[in-house]
Amino acid sequence: MGVAVLFLRGVVAARASRALVAFATSRRPLRTSPRSRAFAKELFLGKIEKKEVFPFPEVSQDELNDITQFVGPVEKFFAEEVDSQRIDREGRIPDETLEKLKSLGLFGMQVPEEYGGLGLSNTMYTRLGEIIGLDASIAVTLAAHQAIGLKGIILAGNKEQKARYLPKLASGEHIAAFCLTEPSSGSDVASIKSRATLSEDKKHYILNGSKVWITNGGMANIFTVFAKTEVVDSDSSVKDKITAFIVERDFGGVTNGKPEDKLGIRGSNTCAVHFENTRVPIENVLGEVGGGFKVAMSTLNSGRFSMGSMVAGLLKKLIEMTAAYACMRKQFNKSLSEFGLIQEKFALMAQKAYVMESMAYLTAGMLDQPGFPDCSIEAAMVKVFSSEGAWQCVSEALQVLGGSGYMRDYPYERLLRDSRILLIFEGTNEILRMYIALTGLQHAGRILTARVNELKRGNVSTVVETIGQKLRDSLGRTVDLGLTGKLGVVHPSVEDSARKLEENAYYFGRTVETLLLRFGKTIVEEQMVLKRVANILINLYGMTAVLSRASRSIRMGIRNHDHEVLLANIFCAEAYYQNLFTLSQLDKYSPENLDEQIKKVSQQVLEKQAYICAHPLERTD
Amino acid sequence: MPTGTLPRKEPAQQPPGAQIPAMVLCPQVPLRAARGLHCSAAARNSDSWLVPPPPEPRKGPGPTKALALHEELFQQAPAGARDKANFVRAVQNFGQHNVHKRGHVDFIYLALRKMREYGVERDLAVYNLLLDVFPKEVFRPRSIIQSIFIHYPRQQECGIAVLEQMESHGVMPNKETEFLLIQIFGRKSYPMLKFVRMKLWFSRFKNINPFPVPRDLPQDPVDLAKLGLRHMEPNLSATVTIYQMPSSKDSTGAADPAEPHIVGIQTPDQQAALANHNPARPVFVEGPFSLWLRDKCVYYHILRADLLPPEEREVEEIPEEWNLYYPMQLDLDYGRSGWDDYEFDIHKVEEGPVFAICMAGAHDQATLAKWIQGLQETNPALAQIPVVFRLAGSTGELRESSSGVKEPPPPPPPPEGQEEEEDNQQRQQQGQS
Repeated sequence: MGVAVLFLRGVVAARASRALVAFATSRRPLRTSPRSRAFAKELFLGKIEKKEVFPFPEVSQDELNDITQFVGPVEKFFAEEVDSQRIDREGRIPDETLEKLKSLGLFGMQVPEEYGGLGLSNTMYTRLGEIIGLDASIAVTLAAHQAIGLKGIILAGNKEQKARYLPKLASGEHIAAFCLTEPSSGSDVASIKSRATLSEDKKHYILNGSKVWITNGGMANIFTVFAKTEVVDSDSSVKDKITAFIVERDFGGVTNGKPEDKLGIRGSNTCAVHFENTRVPIENVLGEVGGGFKVAMSTLNSGRFSMGSMVAGLLKKLIEMTAAYACMRKQFNKSLSEFGLIQEKFALMAQKAYVMESMAYLTAGMLDQPGFPDCSIEAAMVKVFSSEGAWQCVSEALQVLGGSGYMRDYPYERLLRDSRILLIFEGTNEILRMYIALTGLQHAGRILTARVNELKRGNVSTVVETIGQKLRDSLGRTVDLGLTGKLGVVHPSVEDSARKLEENAYYFGRTVETLLLRFGKTIVEEQMVLKRVANILINLYGMTAVLSRASRSIRMGIRNHDHEVLLANIFCAEAYYQNLFTLSQLDKYSPENLDEQIKKVSQQVLEKQAYICAHPLERTD
Repeated sequence: MPTGTLPRKEPAQQPPGAQIPAMVLCPQVPLRAARGLHCSAAARNSDSWLVPPPPEPRKGPGPTKALALHEELFQQAPAGARDKANFVRAVQNFGQHNVHKRGHVDFIYLALRKMREYGVERDLAVYNLLLDVFPKEVFRPRSIIQSIFIHYPRQQECGIAVLEQMESHGVMPNKETEFLLIQIFGRKSYPMLKFVRMKLWFSRFKNINPFPVPRDLPQDPVDLAKLGLRHMEPNLSATVTIYQMPSSKDSTGAADPAEPHIVGIQTPDQQAALANHNPARPVFVEGPFSLWLRDKCVYYHILRADLLPPEEREVEEIPEEWNLYYPMQLDLDYGRSGWDDYEFDIHKVEEGPVFAICMAGAHDQATLAKWIQGLQETNPALAQIPVVFRLAGSTGELRESSSGVKEPPPPPPPPEGQEEEEDNQQRQQQGQS
């Protein structure tokens, strides 16, 4: 195996040198060039930023070879040596497995080469995620280590910090953990209770506080800890602000609770971590003092997009396993695969896998573009779509498997348990939907300010123009945003779907304008509206991703591209009708909009904190 | 002709301030006015509209001299035992003594009056038994003419009286009642009409009250206080604390006056509001205010503060670095349009925050000071805040003996100086403790 690792390192080194050359030649000048607008944000204005998403991002042949060479040993290792059932049963990853993961370099996938990591691009990281996702416990352990644990050092650390910590973290000698959550504080940063006070000699911070549900908390040596510090503001008032610290276990005063007993991802180590008078040197402040909020936010935003490929990898494996069962199992002299209701489930799984794979690689490709593009909305959309897809597909797979899906002797129930966490961690899907919708609405709201203000003031020409537009819309206009046609970016095989996307995108833009006109900045409080906005956007992004990918596949003549066309068309049609429904729900007076009733019901239930209907058998006399 | 069939409304009066658990955001009203608002309920206690109708028996339309006729039936019962068995026996005796049922209308009126004494006024079986006293088939109209002109009006009226008493006690008639009424008066009769209306409306109004009070109130004053407090504070996360149990519990309701019960309620929101209260501003213990639970009146006190003057109110601003995941406010310069603005243009009554409510067996300052002491355990901030007792004395209390007598108006509120004195005393007390 050592040879394999050496080989791997060689490949990476070769790739790295090429990358360095490319960096020197192409990246510099491009970074200063004005960036085109982000795709998702423009969708809020009803526009499709074609350049961002068409054609589907590609990697060069060299890079592809690298990836293939690199992926092989990892795939082999996961197929042959990782015993997921044992990890789940024993509640920990065996040491030899961890050692092997370290020797494969998987602990430093995105650490730059100069610090001993693999320095993988986002696309390559995504590709590896497909394999790592096969075991959720390992995936979570690795993600907590590098997607969030040491990400802060890469993003905000200075040279000394990077040189000091990254090499050991990249090799896996040290494991990192991200300590943000507290008993009283989830996404609410203001309620963080941990506190770091400057010592008398001004060389240390004394850190005190407790963090809960820290993945890798029991085995990590390096912690990224967020705590409140007193910061003198510009107007010389003292304020509490969040600061990020790199804390070594050896600093003393770091203890952890016993590992939590969890529903899924049982092999990952999750526990509480306590800091008691831990002396943190001031050199270990990550970023600026008082700048911890930004560090936490950028770390979390950057860690999300990889979930898409992890789930896609899992689903591909799941389809294989379930399909084998469905073809083998016979009922009424027919194999399960001949029943329509079973077939439907496989189509669903294939479709979901295809969409999330497309979304994940499209996002990774966008992130790999020069200029550090901000794709946090896209990443959040990938996370929401893939986590929900995972839960739905695993559940459907269990349905195919019937009783054996429910038994502990088979691996399927573990997949179900493992996939449940995906909807919760890295920002719950509800919170991410708020993020998706609000970030986009902020962008659209700024651009539409002038227009909205004119409408509110009752500027005649604007009002007339708006009414005219509404009339034209209601009379059924054909929307053409330039995806299709003779020089269109979309292949004619998926032209219908592209039209659907265009129509959805256009009316979405109109709806966003109406919503902004109706609610203005108070739209923050309209969570049910925001959820729908986010749902439409996720669908639109999924449609774009599959259309882009399918078009590329057809034009290149890739294997089974007709299957891709089918999947793309199915998804687009389904998403189109869903979007139409959701758009009509966003209409104030539509019969589909039940917000008022829904709010009333929940209000009454929550007031009594119980289900308040009388028992069906109750009588009044 | 039976008219309204509404079940009697249970009075559960609450002063407006008590229902509002925390702050009511509204423009300011001077201190005196806010106080008057709270006192108003107490001052009006003696008014007759709050007092439940006296439990005097219904005056039957029957001649009073007939009373003597059947009174002996009810006096045959062994002395002291006035229960259902004896009542039933009396009714049965009437049937046995009087084969022709002569004077049954008078007897029924008498029995209706006696029901409360025997504690059977809510017993459906007894009402059915009473209806059974009527002779059957005799009063049924046999022709259209008979049914147009009220047939046997006196008997029908008596039947209606039985149903009306059922109604006022909230007793729902059943199938047996229906059979009896049909047998006695026939389908087309006024008692039957009354019955049908009762059947219709009772079921609809039975659960109309969103804050139901149990039919049988607990006898223990502590339990009653708990019930009353829960009734006023619908927030389920509120905690009820018994700060002091009555010292002697042998006779219910008549606890030793030295150690009356003290029961309080507080929500987490109120606790937080109290913790944030500016210690330079005093808080007030006010009361007693009355609360009616069915036919019982209980008294409560509130701990409240005055509304902050506008210049001292902290504008709740959204910190910039609050939510890690999504923006808590959008940076846009336009707000909600009129179409989606559902805020009614209403004149809001302004009131300071209420921090806690308590019910105590006594309304003097010593007792309430114990409550404040108890509150300090869960609200450490209270130790720093001066507490002013503004008690209306016993004037607010409704006494059974003097319920009919006009009470003197409440004494004018103590002059400012006195209040300050109390204030200072309290400060000293706080300082010592």
